[in-house]
Amino acid sequence: MSATTFELRSSGPSPALIRAVDLAGQWVAPVACIVVLLLARVFVPQFYEPGNLTTVAIQSSVLGIVAVGQMLVLLVAGLDLSVNAVLGLGAVIVISNQQGFSITTLFIALAIAIGVGIGNGLLIAWRKVPPFIATFGMLIFVNGARLAYTHGQASGNVPAWLRVLGIGQIGPVPNAVLCWIAIMLLIGGILTFTRYGRYVYAVGANYEAARYAGVPTREVVMACYIACSVLALCAGLVLSGYIGYVDQRLGTDFNVNSIAAAIVGGTTFTGGRGSLLGTATGAILLTILLDLVVVAGVPINWQLAVQGAVLVAATAIQGMRGHLLSR
Amino acid sequence: MADTVASTSSAVEVPAARSTSSPKWRLPVDGSIVFIYALVLVVGVGAAIYSERFRDPANLTNVLRQTIVLGLLSIGQSLVILAGGIDMSIALIGRLSTLIVAASFGGRDALILPLIALGVAIGALLGAVNGLIITRVYASPFIVTFGMFSILSGISLAIASGPVGTIPPPYLNMYDATIGSIPISVVVMALIWFAAWLLTSRTQFGRALYAVGGSQRVARLSAVPVSRTLVIAYVLSGVCGAAGGLFILARTGVGDPKMADGLEFQSIVAVALGGISLSGGRGSVLGTLGGVLLLGVVANIFNILQVDSFFQQLILGLIVLITVATYRTSKAST
Repeated sequence: MSATTFELRSSGPSPALIRAVDLAGQWVAPVACIVVLLLARVFVPQFYEPGNLTTVAIQSSVLGIVAVGQMLVLLVAGLDLSVNAVLGLGAVIVISNQQGFSITTLFIALAIAIGVGIGNGLLIAWRKVPPFIATFGMLIFVNGARLAYTHGQASGNVPAWLRVLGIGQIGPVPNAVLCWIAIMLLIGGILTFTRYGRYVYAVGANYEAARYAGVPTREVVMACYIACSVLALCAGLVLSGYIGYVDQRLGTDFNVNSIAAAIVGGTTFTGGRGSLLGTATGAILLTILLDLVVVAGVPINWQLAVQGAVLVAATAIQGMRGHLLSR
Repeated sequence: MADTVASTSSAVEVPAARSTSSPKWRLPVDGSIVFIYALVLVVGVGAAIYSERFRDPANLTNVLRQTIVLGLLSIGQSLVILAGGIDMSIALIGRLSTLIVAASFGGRDALILPLIALGVAIGALLGAVNGLIITRVYASPFIVTFGMFSILSGISLAIASGPVGTIPPPYLNMYDATIGSIPISVVVMALIWFAAWLLTSRTQFGRALYAVGGSQRVARLSAVPVSRTLVIAYVLSGVCGAAGGLFILARTGVGDPKMADGLEFQSIVAVALGGISLSGGRGSVLGTLGGVLLLGVVANIFNILQVDSFFQQLILGLIVLITVATYRTSKAST
C-alpha cells in the first residue's frame, strides 16, 4: 500500500489532485446546471416562462433518450455517430407511409435500427474497426439510403399517436419526459441488477480481463450498439411527434449533442465509467444552454459553437480524469 | 527497465521491431499500395474504354485538377492519422480561414500574398489549438476535433451566411494558369505530394510520426518528443486544410459558407483506401495519393454518368463500409 502511494507521488500528480479531477468530472454537469439556471434567472428571465420550460423538458427528454444509448456505447469504449441517421430514417419510415397506427412500419423501422446496430457491432467487435470510422461510414450509408428512399423530400402527416407521445401531457408532466424516465429505469435496471449490466462495465473497464474472465465481450459490445440504435429510433419518434413533421434536417445535431451530454455527465470515452443520472444531467445542461441561445435572441448559429465548446471542454475534463485515474 | 529501452532502441527501430514479431515475407512496397493503384488503373482504364468523354485529355487533366483540394486535405489527414490521431475539423479549418480571407479581400490585388499568408497562419493556429488540447489533457483526438468542427461551423456562419468577398482576378490564376495544356496547379500539387513523401519517409519528423502512431508509450521511452510531434502534425493538418480552402476560393471566386462540406470525411476515406492504418503507425502517403486518385476518378465518372447525388452518397458510404470491413486488423485494439 505504501509502495503504491510512493509510486504515485514520484510520478507527478498528488492523490489530492487526482481526487479533485475525479470529483470535477463527476459533478461538473449538475453544478454547471445550477449555475446556468441562476445566471438565466438574472440575465434571461424569459427562460422561465412556462411554455419555454415545457419545451426544454421535451427537448431534454429526446436528447436524454439518445444520450442513454450513446452512454452505453461509450461505456464499452465505443462511440456511435450513426444515431442521427437512424433517428431520421426511423421517423421518415414510420411517418411518411401512414395516417394511423401501423404495426408493420414500426416493425420495419425497428428492424432497420437493429440492423444498423448489428452492422456497427460486427464491424467494431469482430473486425476491430475503430468505432468512429465504422459508425461514420454507417452514418453516410444510412443517410444516403434515406435520401435515395425519399428523393430529398420527406413529407407526411405525423400520426395522432405520435403527437400524443410528443406533445401530450399527463398532468403537468409531458409524455416525452415519462418516456425518458421509463427508458432510464429500464436501462438502469439492466445495468444495475443483471449480469449483462455488469458485463458492460467489465468490458469497458478492461476488455482483455473481461474476455479472460469468460465474458462474451463481442456480443456485449454488439448489444450496446443495437440498444443505442433502437434508443435513437425511439427518440426520433418522440421528436417527430413533438415538432409535428419530418424533414431532411431532423436530428442532424444529435451526434455531437448526445456525445457531449454523456461526456459532460461524467462518462469517460475510455470506457467503464459513467452513470445514467450523470448522463441525464448532461442532457438537461446541454438543452438549457442551447435553449438559452434561442431565448436570449443570439443568432442561431452560435448553438453550434456552444455544443462544440461543451463537447471540447467536457472531453478535456474527462480526458484528464481518465488519464489520472488509469495511472 | 526504462533506461535499457531508451538506450537500446531509437525511434527508427520501433516499427521494425513490431514487424519482426510476425515473421512474414513482405513486398518492398506495401501490398495495399499495389492494390489501390491497381484499382485506380482498372477503374480508370475501364472508364476510358467505356466513355469517350472520360478519355478526353481535357477531362483527364480536369480530374487531376479536381483532386487537388482533396489531395491537400488528405495529406494533412495522413500526417495526423499516421501519428495515431484524427482531424475531423480539417475541412472546417479550411472553410473558416478561407471565409476570413475572402471577406477581407475587397478586390485588392496588393492583398493577395498577405492574405494567403494570413489564411495559412489561421489554419496553423487552429491546428495548434487542436494539438495542444489533445496533448495537454489527454483528450480523445476524435472527440476534440469533432467538437472543434461544431465550434468552427458556428463561427463560419457568424462571418458569412451567404457568398462573401470580391476576389481580385489575379488570385484566380492559381486555379486557371497553365503551362501548355497542363495546369500549373497540378504541377505544384505533384511537388507537394513529393514533399509529403519526403517528409514522412526521409526525415526525423517522419520517423517520429510513425513511432508515435505505433505506440506513444514506446515512443516516449525511446526519447521521441511525443507531444511536439503530435502538435506539429495537427499544425500541418491545419495548414493543409487552409491551403485546400484557399484553392477552392481560387476555383469558385467567392467565399462560400458551405464550401468544403464533407471533405473531412472524404479525406479520411482516401487515407483508409490508401492503406494507412486508422489506428496509426503504418502506411504511406503514396497510398493516400492512390486513394485520392480513385475517389477523383469515381467522382468524375459519376458526373459523366449523371448519377443522382443521393446515390453518390449511398455508394460512398458503401465503399467506406467495405473498405473498413476488409481492413487488416493486426494491431491490437483496446
